[in-house]
Amino acid sequence: MSDNAESPTETQKDDPSIQHAATEQTGASDEKKKIDVLLKAVGDAPIMKTKKWSVERGRTVQSLAQFISRFLKLEASEQLFIYVNQSFAPSPDQEVGVLFECFGSDGKLVLHYCKSQAWG
Amino acid sequence: MFLMTATSLCSSNVYMSDSRRFKSYNKMAGERNPASCYLDERTFQLCCQLFLQHSETIQDGWSWEQIKGTDEGFMKKTVLMPVKPSVLHKQHEYSIQDENMVTDDIQANVEDETAGVQAVCEIHAVLRYEYHVLYSCSYQIPVLYFRASTLDGRPLSLEEVWSNVHPNYRQRLQQGPWDTLTQQEHPLLGQPFFMLHPCRTEEFMKPALDLAQAENKRMNYIVTWLSVVGPVLRLDVPLSYSTEVSAPD
Repeated sequence: MSDNAESPTETQKDDPSIQHAATEQTGASDEKKKIDVLLKAVGDAPIMKTKKWSVERGRTVQSLAQFISRFLKLEASEQLFIYVNQSFAPSPDQEVGVLFECFGSDGKLVLHYCKSQAWG
Repeated sequence: MFLMTATSLCSSNVYMSDSRRFKSYNKMAGERNPASCYLDERTFQLCCQLFLQHSETIQDGWSWEQIKGTDEGFMKKTVLMPVKPSVLHKQHEYSIQDENMVTDDIQANVEDETAGVQAVCEIHAVLRYEYHVLYSCSYQIPVLYFRASTLDGRPLSLEEVWSNVHPNYRQRLQQGPWDTLTQQEHPLLGQPFFMLHPCRTEEFMKPALDLAQAENKRMNYIVTWLSVVGPVLRLDVPLSYSTEVSAPD
């Protein structure tokens, strides 16, 4: 999977593997390459205006976290944490498709996120 | 990071809104606070035992080490980990004939331009990481200690350990003005280890604890905590811990 540019000006238009769920083609497909992710803020994390995203199955948690961080314009010193099943942090290398298989329900994967300053 | 006393850690969270702080105060007053970021040692041990049961089931390699003559103990796991040779500093001398480890001078590059794919066949170095999950009485939370060495027993330097911190965390951890990864004497074994400083534990534990409480679910503190800190140091915590390990009664 190719890594996208780390430019802070990158918008989600430059990132075809993550799109608004509304633009995703609907229709029954067993080979659906994207899964629906619902992002929920916890703690003092900013709430994303768009919460539902279509994400390629092969996208890693780290990659998604980077996307959310850029979207929310987090400071360089702020770390984003993502939780699945409410209280478990998936490995940054984990693919969202796998998380969807394990924890998806009603056709979507709910991920909670929060932010904190860098450790130390 | 200034050293916060245990009593001040939860009450002086500057990130909480006033309404949340008010709610927390009411929860804490006079009754067991299920959303507390702190862990008493007994609960720590119970969480570990439940964690270890699942580790046994999936052969994940964790064990409990009891300190003889005390009721103290810790969880331990040793992992052999292939890493890119660039993690290790070249100035450390090692023999190319060493069968356990090769330098990145030995590298086979296979280019397949027609397929547009460059396949790099890189021989990795293998490191031995030993992780210990200890209970900190002063912070009243778990702390991750670890030591790392090459297969021929050479301990890794702090710089080399930094090179192997997961890229997802490395930049921000290094930006911290304080020592996040420090060399510490193991409190129970008295040997030199590295430690991931626990001072920010509350910031990633509290949201998960609050979430669980909002959903009326009890969670296993160690499972949640280790799932966050483990990957920082290349320690994998399989997803099944999330669903198969219960909270202590």
